Amino acid sequence: MVTTSQEQGHDALTATSAVTGLPQKRFYRQRAHSNPIADHSFDYPARPEDVDWSALYPNIQPDQQVEFADIGCGYGGFLVTLGEMFPQKLSIGMEIRVKVSDYVVDRIAALRLKSGKLNGDAYKNIACIRTNAMKYLPNYFRKGQLEKMFFLYPDPHFKRAKHKWRIINQALLSEYAYVLRQGGLVYTMTDVEDLHQWIVSHMNQHPLYERISPEDESQDPITPKLYQSSEEGAKVVRNKGDHFLAIFRRI
Amino acid sequence: MATIFYAEPELVIGHNRKILFVNPNDLQIFKEIELPTDLLSSCGLKSSSTSTAEQQSAAAETGGGSVVEGEEPKDTKTIEAGASASAPTVSVQNVSYSPDRQLLAVTTAGQKALVLYKCRPEHAQLVSVRALARASSAIRFAADSSSVLVTDKTGDCYQYDCIETEALPRLLLGHLSIVYDILWTGDQQHIITSDRDDKIRVTNYPATFDIHSYCLGHKEFVSGLALLSDEHICSVSGDKTLRVWNFKAGKELLRTDLPAPAVRLHHRQLPQKSDGDNADNLQRHQLGILFYDHVDAVGLYELEGNGDVWSVTVSQQIRADAGSWNICNFALTEERVYVMGAKDERLTFRCYNSSNGEPITSQLPEGWLTMILDQFPGDAGSCLPEDLSVWFKKRFDNVSDYLERKKRRIEEQQQQHKC
Repeated sequence: MVTTSQEQGHDALTATSAVTGLPQKRFYRQRAHSNPIADHSFDYPARPEDVDWSALYPNIQPDQQVEFADIGCGYGGFLVTLGEMFPQKLSIGMEIRVKVSDYVVDRIAALRLKSGKLNGDAYKNIACIRTNAMKYLPNYFRKGQLEKMFFLYPDPHFKRAKHKWRIINQALLSEYAYVLRQGGLVYTMTDVEDLHQWIVSHMNQHPLYERISPEDESQDPITPKLYQSSEEGAKVVRNKGDHFLAIFRRI
Repeated sequence: MATIFYAEPELVIGHNRKILFVNPNDLQIFKEIELPTDLLSSCGLKSSSTSTAEQQSAAAETGGGSVVEGEEPKDTKTIEAGASASAPTVSVQNVSYSPDRQLLAVTTAGQKALVLYKCRPEHAQLVSVRALARASSAIRFAADSSSVLVTDKTGDCYQYDCIETEALPRLLLGHLSIVYDILWTGDQQHIITSDRDDKIRVTNYPATFDIHSYCLGHKEFVSGLALLSDEHICSVSGDKTLRVWNFKAGKELLRTDLPAPAVRLHHRQLPQKSDGDNADNLQRHQLGILFYDHVDAVGLYELEGNGDVWSVTVSQQIRADAGSWNICNFALTEERVYVMGAKDERLTFRCYNSSNGEPITSQLPEGWLTMILDQFPGDAGSCLPEDLSVWFKKRFDNVSDYLERKKRRIEEQQQQHKC
């Protein structure tokens, strides 16, 4: 009898492409919007101490903790890149949509399985959970735990009445500042100029953030990856659209 | 929602448009306040400035922080003011005395407003009426009585200046769900709020953009908070627990199971025990908890604490004929519990002995209960109880259906592979 994790991996593989060994996105399509204020059937930990991180990261060391968080990680393209770029760091993807987060879970399981067949240990430093990051970040992370947070191609919620659904708003910025350590970075990227301006203006108004200089932005090794590795980003590149990047430091 | 609390020597009862200040020990009515029917449109005080205040608060709400975005001040919520003919009714939501007892803050539902009165021995003088964007869920004065905090069902917390009553409200902090209770420490350094998402948040003041800590552990809405000391609070929740926290450290110190979900908390500081030679600074508090759907309507508990060591003893459960009427609130005095609610949609009061839970009839001044009810004649006494079942989390499952379909799909694929 195989172990549970292999069993899950096997299950995942059957929904996968015979060619690449990766899950096929067509089985996981879902509309782009989700109401972040409504109740959902989330199982969430009452406190950070209650999270069983070893269920997500099989190789986690006792002194290790999640330091990178991709909020609204979508199909997980950038999360996978993060895992490859920072093998020593644990990264978490948080996604509210049922099918999309399930896709990322299956994708990571398949990647781990592939890597394992070559006696590799890759992708054991990334994981995805389905949760509402607008509500439950303090349930997962202690004060000052995170070093980097990513908000890549967030739902623009164009209608004014839905602006409080935006992942960047004044009240939530205080919560992000709480889980971020001093000197930690917030990466934001969008192809909607209005949203970019909204993000920059709210970040600038908040006393706990400062935008880093354009030179520092371009020198950050993560910056080029932000343009390439998110599926949303890739779509924008294909469509020759504009990107708007802004990086902020937690003061 | 009807409100009642005891502030020595008065029992304060707010219902519909009336607030009554009565002596629980004789038939004296200290004073009463009747809110105008057309509070917002023509209260006579500032009919012109209320609409601007409303616009400003709506703008502050969309703008966030102390920064008010000037654009688009009228959104969707500012329509009801002005049209007095079809104006919604006014009913008292929350009432609070300022710590110096000079001011009384009243929030109203229907026509949503924050109303300030200057308290005088006999009459109360209307100071200001400020429109609220949304109905309030809780209010709390600053220790120095200079401002009052108002929270609402969307989780926003605004500060209203009580000296510069024309000043714009300031959005201090926001939760993602209704805030049920709010505390502000005596040194005014910390604002503590509890919400429907199981959270207690400790926010620094005046730097309210900086969250000091969270007190996490509850598994349902946190309906009531009480300040026990400079570092300690207690909380009650729909998860049937009472907890004591060191809120500065965000650390749980004590957890006690309750017989039912807790929906309201009232707190009274008790005199320290004088054990002669025992000079310990043992702090003592009485807690009154209203339970949701339980045979004992109210539980009385005693908390004792010294530093981070706290213990709780049940002192009395009060049956209060639970089930035969809809209890909505209560007040604690030294010896009694005044319970308020609706029977046959009429406002009703009952009084119980704190030490044995028995109904009190003979010790009350003769005709006292009748006198109180006579103050709410006709429509003024009609009382529709609030449906508290909506406080509990609605679990709608959007996962297992998907997982079931996925499992079937995988099984079908495996079948095809075999064939």
